[in-house]
Amino acid sequence: MRRTLAILVGNPLSLLGLFLVGIVIFSAVFADFIAPFPEHRGAVVDFANFNQPPAWPNIFGTDLVGRDLFSRILYAYRISLVLGVVVLSIATPIGVIVGLVAGYVGGKTEYVLMRITDVFLSIPPLVLAMAIMGVLEPTLTNGMLAVTSMWWPWYARLVYNLTRSEKEEGYVLAAEVIGASRAYIIFREILPNCVPAIITKMTLDFGFVIIIASSLSFLGLGVQPPTPDLGSMVAGGASYLPDSWWLTLFPALAILIAVFGFNLIGDALREILGADQ
Amino acid sequence: MSKTMSKTMSGPILKVDKVGKTFVQGVHQVEALADISFSVMAGECFAVVGESGSGKSTLANLILGIYPPTTGTISYAGEPLPAKRQLVHRRAIQLVQQNPLSALNPKRTIGASLRLALDVHGIGAPSERRDIVGGLLEEVGLPAEFASRAPAALSGGQRQRVSIARALACQSALLVLDEPTSALDVLVQARVLKLLEKLRRKHNLTYIFITHDLCVVRNIADRVAVFEKGRLIELAATETLFTRPQTPYTRALISAVPVVSEEEERLRQRLGEPQNAIG
Amino acid sequence: MTALVLEIINLNLSFARHGEQTAVLHDVCLSIARGERVALVGESGSGKSVTARIVLGLLGELASARITGEIRFEGQDLGALSPAGRHALRGTKMSMIFQDPTSSLNPAYTIGAQFHEVLRRGAPKISAKAAKERAGAMLAGISMDQPDRVLGSYPFQLSGGMNQRVMIAMALANTPSLLIADEPGTALDVTVQAQTLKLMRELVEDNGTAVLFITHNIGVVREFADRVYVLYRGRIVEKGATHAVLTDARHPYTRALLAAVPRLTGGGIADIGEETDVFAAPMFDHGPGAEARP
Repeated sequence: MRRTLAILVGNPLSLLGLFLVGIVIFSAVFADFIAPFPEHRGAVVDFANFNQPPAWPNIFGTDLVGRDLFSRILYAYRISLVLGVVVLSIATPIGVIVGLVAGYVGGKTEYVLMRITDVFLSIPPLVLAMAIMGVLEPTLTNGMLAVTSMWWPWYARLVYNLTRSEKEEGYVLAAEVIGASRAYIIFREILPNCVPAIITKMTLDFGFVIIIASSLSFLGLGVQPPTPDLGSMVAGGASYLPDSWWLTLFPALAILIAVFGFNLIGDALREILGADQ
Repeated sequence: MSKTMSKTMSGPILKVDKVGKTFVQGVHQVEALADISFSVMAGECFAVVGESGSGKSTLANLILGIYPPTTGTISYAGEPLPAKRQLVHRRAIQLVQQNPLSALNPKRTIGASLRLALDVHGIGAPSERRDIVGGLLEEVGLPAEFASRAPAALSGGQRQRVSIARALACQSALLVLDEPTSALDVLVQARVLKLLEKLRRKHNLTYIFITHDLCVVRNIADRVAVFEKGRLIELAATETLFTRPQTPYTRALISAVPVVSEEEERLRQRLGEPQNAIG
Repeated sequence: MTALVLEIINLNLSFARHGEQTAVLHDVCLSIARGERVALVGESGSGKSVTARIVLGLLGELASARITGEIRFEGQDLGALSPAGRHALRGTKMSMIFQDPTSSLNPAYTIGAQFHEVLRRGAPKISAKAAKERAGAMLAGISMDQPDRVLGSYPFQLSGGMNQRVMIAMALANTPSLLIADEPGTALDVTVQAQTLKLMRELVEDNGTAVLFITHNIGVVREFADRVYVLYRGRIVEKGATHAVLTDARHPYTRALLAAVPRLTGGGIADIGEETDVFAAPMFDHGPGAEARP
């Protein structure tokens, strides 16, 4: 614990990561209290103030129907975080179980599971998500479904490779000789040794999930209006560049802050957890 | 078959009968062991000696049931061991591995690693198992408090003692010791070998001691089986093997050992110079 | 020119970890005369390998390591040399052999190409043809069959024993005055190890190369070394002619070490106590042995 703190505090980039992610989470959780115009998260029209550059009280300016951009970004964070949590908390267990079972059991099971994984990995992620969103209705739930379906194979690959190498360790042989069950060996002996790598990847991925979700909304396939979403905001504002620069710049910066922050923390975790092994 | 396999008996505890093992690697077939037969008597220390590629590790895995033999049978206490081992067979034969670094799960405490054997085989009431673990640690010369430590906090010799305690936990009659001291420093090796000897006498254990180190064999084994390229080429009582080796290979092995005293040097000289062919 | 090839004077090493200094070597003094074979024997963690690395100049780049003391190579203070100067010494006047022969050779190049590279360090202008001839002659000299086939092979196509021989031939290709051998052959089978030791001994004798032999195996020391230094926890505890140290060990640690080695002639496993306080006894010096040649 002390060493963990020492690494976090000793590295200015890790501190910056903590700070940025702190801002994002704080904004999402307390959006109701921070946002100057909470009602602007929905379908509000204020033509008197439409498309205004940053000025008090609209510090990030207003959008094409006069809503406060700052407030909408705070609420968009909330949706991005929910999306990231939901996607990773579904994709990670699926991928981890597939990888553990394929890596440990081997034989035909391994062949079938890893070929399915390869099929998913061979389709470009955005194309797969677009295909799913094209068939289903573009809603937040389906967006999560689409992103989840393209995310789990990466965990399957990672954990499969880790399991293959852990399987060669003497402690696995010892458990087999003692007569422990397969499930015990997989989940109690091997899994704990994979956890550091999994957590590190989850942190790094959090940023990427936000980007992919934003990309989908950018293409009009994600979260639908009037719900605020960083990707759709960037997309909507792009046609008004460079005159109405704030429409694109602030949502894009918001994405950058979140992704950058999670990546920095991921790197720090890699150092902390990796060194523990 | 009773819950624990019988372990008080005088005949062979393990019988290896015409055992062969061939691995299939793509289109190639690699014969790791061919037509091996020998018996191990209850209570003896039976050494299996060979260099890399001799098949000694394959033999260990066959006895432990990691994979079944291609031909032949292995019997324990008169009963043939099935290809798919049951818990009762697992409990009868345990293992101490070579590498003390990898033999213990780095993410679990020493106590958890030892308790696994008790849980799997239902040894002792769950409430007593903590004390049993402490007793096992003391038996191998470690304080009971080590149960709460991580493997990383132990030295190589201490970890190897934990591995031995784990093998004892199952109350097995037969232990396969796969190069148990070759990763250890010489002082630690002597202490661990001494411990193994003490435990064998105390619990009337049978050892199959797999090693490449002839000096260790000379001082701990009752009988020695020499393996070369998957074949058992010589089997003799230790004293006989080291004074009157019958095969050129055994002679070459003995005379290649680096020795520390004049007396050993004379023995080596008598058995002839090491052969000069590169293996 | 001095008769000493290598002289280590009061070498101290410590590492900084978590703000604390951990001492690894304490006032290590060691000298090797021209053509002399000297063993440095110790258990894992005694500091024997790290001593070899310091002599080779491979540890200096570590920022956390603090090294004091003097190392003289053929009378020259290595501490006064630039990194480039030390680099120029390695592989020419000072060469090395490591434990695992197969992983010490680059799997992506043929033995011939790696031999050429080694010879070029000694003679930068050597042609590929001349290098091949010289390498072939050296391999033939160590009674290696079909040297041309070996030179055209990749390391993974050869056995561990053959790779070890190749490594030895390469290490001696530029007729170094000092060879540092760190547990050579420990990864090999005993029969192969015995042959490589014999070969190495013949070659260094022919070339008049001095050897610093790092090992944990006292039996190997007896076969190979003229003099021996026993290292325990970073301190030299006993030194002298090999015969004197092995037959008349004086330091408690050396005695325990010798007692702990199981004998080929039997006699059982020695009872080695857990007591280590006695190992802190002062160093015992057997004096210059008859073997120490000028």
